[in-house]
Amino acid sequence: MKFELTVNGVRQSSEAPADISLLHFLRDNLRMTGTKEGCNVGECGACSVLLDGKLVNSCLVLAAQANGREVITIEGIHAPDGGPNDLQQAFIEYGAVQCGYCTPGMVLAGEALLNSNPKPTRLEIREAIAGNLCRCTGYQQIVDAIEAAAIHRQEAGHD
Amino acid sequence: MTEKQFIGKPTNRVDALEKVMGTARFSCDYYLPDMLVARCYRSPLPHARIKLIDSSEALKIPGVKAIITSEDFENHGRFGFPIVDMYMLAYARVRFAGDPIVAVAAEDEDSLQAALKALVVELEPLPGVFDPRNALDSDAPLIGENPRDAEGHPRGNLLIDYIVRQADPDTVLAKCDVVVDDEYTTMHQEHAYIETEGAVAVPWSGNSGVTVYAGCQSPFNARDNLVRTLGLAEEDVRVIQPYVGGAFGGKDDTMYQTIAQVAKLALVAGRPVKMVLSREESLIASYKRDAMVMKYKVGASKDGILKACKFHGIVDSGGYSAITPFTAWRSTIHAMGPYRYEACHVDTDVVYTNNGYAGAFRGFGNTEVCYAIEMAVDDIASQLHLDPMDFRLKNCLRPGDTTSHGQKLGEDVALVDCLEQVRRISDWDNRRKLYDREHQAPTSQGEFRQGIGVAALFHGMSLGAEGKDFAVGTLRINDDNTLTLTSGLTDYGNGSRTVFTLIVAETLGIHPDRIKMLRPDTNTAMNSGPTVASRATVLGGNATRVTAMRMDTLLLTAAADLLGCPIVNIHRNGEMYIGPDEEPVTYEQVVEHAREMGLVLSTIGRWNAPENHWSFESGSGKPYFAYHYGAQVAEVQVDTGTGKVEVTNIWAVHNTGTVIFPQGILGQVYGGITQGLGYALMERVDYDQGYIQTTNFDEYLIPTALDVPDITAEFVEKPFADGPFGAKNIAEPGMVPAAPAIVNAIFHATGRRIKNLPANLERVLIGKDLRKEGSNKACKLGLHQE
Repeated sequence: MKFELTVNGVRQSSEAPADISLLHFLRDNLRMTGTKEGCNVGECGACSVLLDGKLVNSCLVLAAQANGREVITIEGIHAPDGGPNDLQQAFIEYGAVQCGYCTPGMVLAGEALLNSNPKPTRLEIREAIAGNLCRCTGYQQIVDAIEAAAIHRQEAGHD
Repeated sequence: MTEKQFIGKPTNRVDALEKVMGTARFSCDYYLPDMLVARCYRSPLPHARIKLIDSSEALKIPGVKAIITSEDFENHGRFGFPIVDMYMLAYARVRFAGDPIVAVAAEDEDSLQAALKALVVELEPLPGVFDPRNALDSDAPLIGENPRDAEGHPRGNLLIDYIVRQADPDTVLAKCDVVVDDEYTTMHQEHAYIETEGAVAVPWSGNSGVTVYAGCQSPFNARDNLVRTLGLAEEDVRVIQPYVGGAFGGKDDTMYQTIAQVAKLALVAGRPVKMVLSREESLIASYKRDAMVMKYKVGASKDGILKACKFHGIVDSGGYSAITPFTAWRSTIHAMGPYRYEACHVDTDVVYTNNGYAGAFRGFGNTEVCYAIEMAVDDIASQLHLDPMDFRLKNCLRPGDTTSHGQKLGEDVALVDCLEQVRRISDWDNRRKLYDREHQAPTSQGEFRQGIGVAALFHGMSLGAEGKDFAVGTLRINDDNTLTLTSGLTDYGNGSRTVFTLIVAETLGIHPDRIKMLRPDTNTAMNSGPTVASRATVLGGNATRVTAMRMDTLLLTAAADLLGCPIVNIHRNGEMYIGPDEEPVTYEQVVEHAREMGLVLSTIGRWNAPENHWSFESGSGKPYFAYHYGAQVAEVQVDTGTGKVEVTNIWAVHNTGTVIFPQGILGQVYGGITQGLGYALMERVDYDQGYIQTTNFDEYLIPTALDVPDITAEFVEKPFADGPFGAKNIAEPGMVPAAPAIVNAIFHATGRRIKNLPANLERVLIGKDLRKEGSNKACKLGLHQE
């Protein structure tokens, strides 16, 4: 089957089996390996991407369901100069990264939250990333980083 | 002490940028031209004789390029450390449900699946052992390889046993005013690294050698196993560590099997081969934290002095030994907890069963016994109506004390400092009193009850008296004046690359940005033993420090020559070298001058840990050269209607010595505590007649961001004489006391001692497990389906 979807603003078309998941389509066909597989049953969130702006587990979405729609992966998250954006920079500065395997999904969960709730409380941040498992960090520095990025965006918005 | 430039200052992890951008490559991210995919056929039975393997039909399937069994390896692919009892693919027998028997490489997933279905594997079921308590029965089926009466193995499935002997506890216990006599159990725990096991092998031209990309605890162990089991020379095998998505002790033996399987498949097929385990396969195939049965008798006098401890433990090693003998030895050494006794006996039996297999996992034997002894000690305090914090302070190890092993401790012992500090920051006395008052009112069903509990910890540093303990680092200055640093120790997220970079920067007075720390590669780094037992900071850190000091000597020699003065007259300001006439020269000038002098700007440093000694016969000695100390306090809220426990606060104080990488050490403590919280409340790998019951994260629950409170962590930075810049270790100790602090808080809230982990709803609510109906056998092993 031929798939046509927009990934990080670029139109992508590729032949793949009709039952391929969005996760495997991104990784195996488009070789965009920033999106990780952790469980393939929608429990760990390592494969999180934004589908039309909404956070989804790409292992649970068929590539066919994403056909003609807009997908944002970790490769599409960066500052205009290609470096880290403010949320990614906060992850670096607040120690939100250890092994790094869950990190792309965590960054996307953080982006999804900040898009819908620019002033989250720490509890709201914890709720927003509760679908993303991290075995290294104990989450605290991830919460710190998202909180810092939220404040940064609020301040930038007021300028 | 002089002010430090980089150590202990806010620093970012050296590899954080690649990780947040999604460009860090893990094993699974390698897509090479002509690469085959591979998978294992795994045993559907927990114990069976392999009668026949016929792969002729499977080999005829288009796209199938290689099929291997134990016959394709030297000596059937036998390996293992410290006890050699495993195979790269099962030979003659399978000993757990999930044991790999055949490995297949094919062009694509469809032909791979077809081949796995077409394989003919005939197994003759054998009776198994599933309860470690029965493993040593005279009629128990033999799981290990030695006959029942073998020399040194007089009790069939006994793998090994260890003792500690100090005086005679029975005599002392008879005179104690309070004796706790109880049995505690812990269950298997899954590492649950979010990246499953994976490896990619690339054959060299003419199949003369092989390069493997794989995340594991030690690429050198992986290489040595390949040399032995593939019959290749050391120079024909290269193992490169890509980024590793978490390990926690879990990427040892299972990974060495995976690595050998892909390497052999690649050599047979003459093409690159990749194998990545699905989460289900990972849970079925990988080793776990061992389950333990622990019997304690601990006695004290009525004035609150601990007198004696008697311990008997059974460690379930499962079908293979893996590293469980070391785990069990650490359990043995730590079973009595960080306390003084008049008498102490410890006996630990390690047994084979057919419940998966056990190996290394953070805390490594201490996590298990710390849970039990900290509950026993808490129980004594409560029976004596003493505050548990006071009771621990009264009995804990102090500088100059002699342990139950006969080891005289040094001045670095800081447990009192940790307990007092955690008491202060948790507002222990006020909270304890407040909840005690609340508990005087009768509980009505559904009411919330709060409680607060403490646990103390000592944790032997590095490997201990189990073997030679050393690490090696290398450093060179490149043509562009950047520095390249290597260590044989791995960074799988623990932050050691950053720690080692900071140690070089501080030693040389060079900005960390100039230093590039390579990931381990058997061709560029030097063997330093495995990255286990929280040994990176002290062992690897010291080796790095020695390496950097040698480089410093070279640069100072050049600077002295350039400035025309003795080395002692040079002082440093940032990257400047300043001589007696105050004229500074730059790092670049010094390096250039060193080259002109013909100095080779490349150094190697090795650090040997101080001597340990242990007598396995007398059960005494100096098991570790030093210990880490710590104390944690947990506060819980228990729903008395459902048994649900919410951990509302955790305070941790650890005697880490000098903090090198602040962001990293906090991450280690937060992450460790979170794994301990999972261990306490929810994590449980159940084996039912040898069949694992939890095969993905929908059934094996680990803590989410909503299960963990904000944690407060502080450090007692009393410098440690044998550590780099005074640092001690942290990775394991952060986890170990969390579970006992939580169950002690549950006792404070409910009056119920949770003697079997995890403290799930029914155990907290009714004090026992609900009975399960029906058979759990076959349902979980969806091994060979798509």
